[in-house]
Amino acid sequence: MSYTELTVWTRGIIMDKEGRDIVNSISASARTEGKYAQAMENYVDNPDRTNAPTRKYCRVSDSVLENELTYENEHPNIVVLVEGTMVKGWDYMRGMPPGGTLVINTHYSPEYMIRFVPGPERLAQLVCVDAAKLADHKWLYYRLGELGLDRLSTEGAAERSRKIAPDIAAPLIAAVVKTTNIVKMATITPMIANKHAFDMALEELKIMQLNPVAV
Amino acid sequence: MPTVLEKKKTVRINGCVASAQAAKYADVDVIAAYPIRPYTATMMALAQMVANGELDAEYIVADSEHSQLSIAHGAASSGARVFTGSSGVGVQFAYELYSPISGSRMPVQMMIADRTLDPPGDFGSEHTDALSTRDMGWLMGWACDAQEAFDNHLMAYRIGEDPRVLLPQMVCQDGFFVSHITGDVELPDPTQVKEFLPPYKHPYPLDPRHPVSHGPQIMPEQGPPLQLERARAMEGSMAVIEEVHKEFGEIFGRKYDPWVEEFMTDDAEVVFFLQGAHAVTARFAIQHMREKGLKVGMARLRTIRPYPTDRVCEVLSKFKVVGVIETNMALGSPASGGALYADACAALYEAKERPLVISFMAGMGGEAIVLKEFYWMAEKMMQALKRGKIEKRTHWVGFEE
Repeated sequence: MSYTELTVWTRGIIMDKEGRDIVNSISASARTEGKYAQAMENYVDNPDRTNAPTRKYCRVSDSVLENELTYENEHPNIVVLVEGTMVKGWDYMRGMPPGGTLVINTHYSPEYMIRFVPGPERLAQLVCVDAAKLADHKWLYYRLGELGLDRLSTEGAAERSRKIAPDIAAPLIAAVVKTTNIVKMATITPMIANKHAFDMALEELKIMQLNPVAV
Repeated sequence: MPTVLEKKKTVRINGCVASAQAAKYADVDVIAAYPIRPYTATMMALAQMVANGELDAEYIVADSEHSQLSIAHGAASSGARVFTGSSGVGVQFAYELYSPISGSRMPVQMMIADRTLDPPGDFGSEHTDALSTRDMGWLMGWACDAQEAFDNHLMAYRIGEDPRVLLPQMVCQDGFFVSHITGDVELPDPTQVKEFLPPYKHPYPLDPRHPVSHGPQIMPEQGPPLQLERARAMEGSMAVIEEVHKEFGEIFGRKYDPWVEEFMTDDAEVVFFLQGAHAVTARFAIQHMREKGLKVGMARLRTIRPYPTDRVCEVLSKFKVVGVIETNMALGSPASGGALYADACAALYEAKERPLVISFMAGMGGEAIVLKEFYWMAEKMMQALKRGKIEKRTHWVGFEE
């Protein structure tokens, strides 16, 4: 019986859609595969915190989710950092059982990034993907103001784009699915709006294999 | 029955969006909004529907919950179908309006996504916010998932707007556990809704062409008949509630017991008595305990106002021990715990065989009630069954051995 928790760390409002797209698309894929799956946002993160760290959760299981009403993923097997600088400053690895996967959106290599990861000995793999570049993500640094206006709330009140993963979420989803097989490539691919960035990412992942130990 | 149901579809939405969808399907005329978490997402969704032209309604943003309910009252008085809502302290701030709205018999509908009051004031669900208004003449009940929330909204409009009833409705759901948990929700074909919920027509709306007085100053001797009439409307709603639930089942295919959902109660000796979303986890806990041979079940209260006294008496008196899971605070109340205990005990007073009743304070501050806490409560009930009497009236779950 398999049960997997995926936790995505992102930045409030300006990058909330990216985080939301990752958990929603993976959860929807799992359900089309006949599994039980749930996607949600961290409830206490939901108030509008621009740029502050916010969490999105996904749970995928072969059996019915009896913990559907619990607030947080307590033992994430997979953690995604939607923005590279989030690698420092807090314990996003908390609760991860040995054998986990960490995916970071960064142009740095895993060899460079691993020094910032708290408790890296639990990891089976550290995956770096330059999602911003692959998605030609110019607005991240130059259009923050406009982005803030477009996305008035962490709950997605005023999103103009109804597409799933039009931006940097696409390469990150590719990284998660390719390295963890949480869902099948065939079920997730049709959902992704930015197919170019998704396909490019499959070729350009930087994966560091590790030997996880219990902490 | 409509023959073409081509527009029926199943979508994956949370409780907040389900409520917004219900308001859209009910084709509401006026929406009175003021933000407070967690119900805010409902108003966000409705704002988008109005902006996109999916829903033709007046969307009014008030400057407070007090204004929100005042707008709702005024709009309903002019004959509009009104949708409003709130959470937590927002429900309290509008308190002055609850009695006038039911007193003038305006079937305003208010969506509640529960949130704790201050303290602790966190975003989690305690039912105290809505329950504190339970005697103000509003029809009131809790859903346990997004689909039920959607359905309850449609049924509540139909019940409240029935000329035999004409009472406002609070359609409640737990914050987070329903409001922010996604589920598969079947959105009906509009023809089904049209068949079930006719356009709202108040018998005496404010209209300059047909002048009427609403809420005039009265003398004390005019008070008793006025209050009696409101009390009778509440009592009389019970037959309408049953009728509407039956018809809803026939049209939409989802059959709800209007009063109490029983789960694995056939041979049960001890049962949980609760309302709202914790029923979802309770069902799993009961299934696991059943595998171990424990005769455990659940009775979930779906409507708390009007209180189904006879039905609760009939259901609960079948068991040996009843554990009331409160999810609300009623400080200094009969059990010195929550508010549900007193109502349940009052209903049981006339029963020939009375079960032992225990009040469990669980899920306070909106904490999730996890499986092992249900097991702990069942154990306490089993001990009481063995002993033939309760250890004490109220247990605080998580604070005792």
